[in-house]
Amino acid sequence: MSESAPTAAETRRIAEEARDRVRFEEEALQLSDQVYRVARRLTGSREEAEDLVQDTYARAFRSWQQYQPGTNLRAWLLRIATNLNIDRGRRVQRAPDQTPLEEGDYYLYNRLESTMPDENPDEERVLDRLSQNAVVDALAEVPHDFRDVLVLVDIGEFSYAEAAQILDIPVGTVMSRLHRGRRILKQQLAEKAVTN
Amino acid sequence: MGCGCDDCEKMMQPYMDGVLSEEQIREAQEHLERCYGCDKRFRFEEKLRHFVRVAAHEPMSDGLKEKLAGLRSADSLG
Repeated sequence: MSESAPTAAETRRIAEEARDRVRFEEEALQLSDQVYRVARRLTGSREEAEDLVQDTYARAFRSWQQYQPGTNLRAWLLRIATNLNIDRGRRVQRAPDQTPLEEGDYYLYNRLESTMPDENPDEERVLDRLSQNAVVDALAEVPHDFRDVLVLVDIGEFSYAEAAQILDIPVGTVMSRLHRGRRILKQQLAEKAVTN
Repeated sequence: MGCGCDDCEKMMQPYMDGVLSEEQIREAQEHLERCYGCDKRFRFEEKLRHFVRVAAHEPMSDGLKEKLAGLRSADSLG
């Protein structure tokens, strides 16, 4: 290889690449609160979430050129995070339980209302039966496959299609896991609220 | 206990997710106007989703923010 100085075109290309990279890193960092918000509920503890987010950004910054500018960067980052989280072998957990849940979508409301002394309380007061801790604990009880979808859609506010892309599963699977995940969450919430 | 509106119960989550057809949305809305029990449960579901989202939020630590900023390339740091 020659030792000659780089051409003007090459110098320009290098400068442009450096600028794109800086811009990518800035944009990615601006989303870190949102990435953490989802990562925190994909994992069991603050420490695990912090490790996961750090590894996610380390990987994202290494492979930044694989990101297609103009596409959804938040989804791209979460795809790295969910893949890393799965790679960590947390799937040693048992396969998701396939027994049908008998309770419908009104189950939680009906259970909570039944514990209240007054006839026909308004929904705000029914909701007051739930605490923040109950939500955190109930989410942690949802098996991972369902929780991933639930966290992406209901906490991360991703669409079905985005969640499907992030987790690399069909949209129909997102819908069925979400449906079941929400019911498991409600069952857990009902137990925690009623036993307290 | 329930109001017996099985169809409405099944449609509620897809309705809230905005994935029903226009026809189905109209049916659901008409039903909600007529049925106090479903309407109240629907309002509960909306508030529940919001409550879960807020309750699940735990702010990121400043320490982590600094660590992430430290992962940037030398060009960003310079």
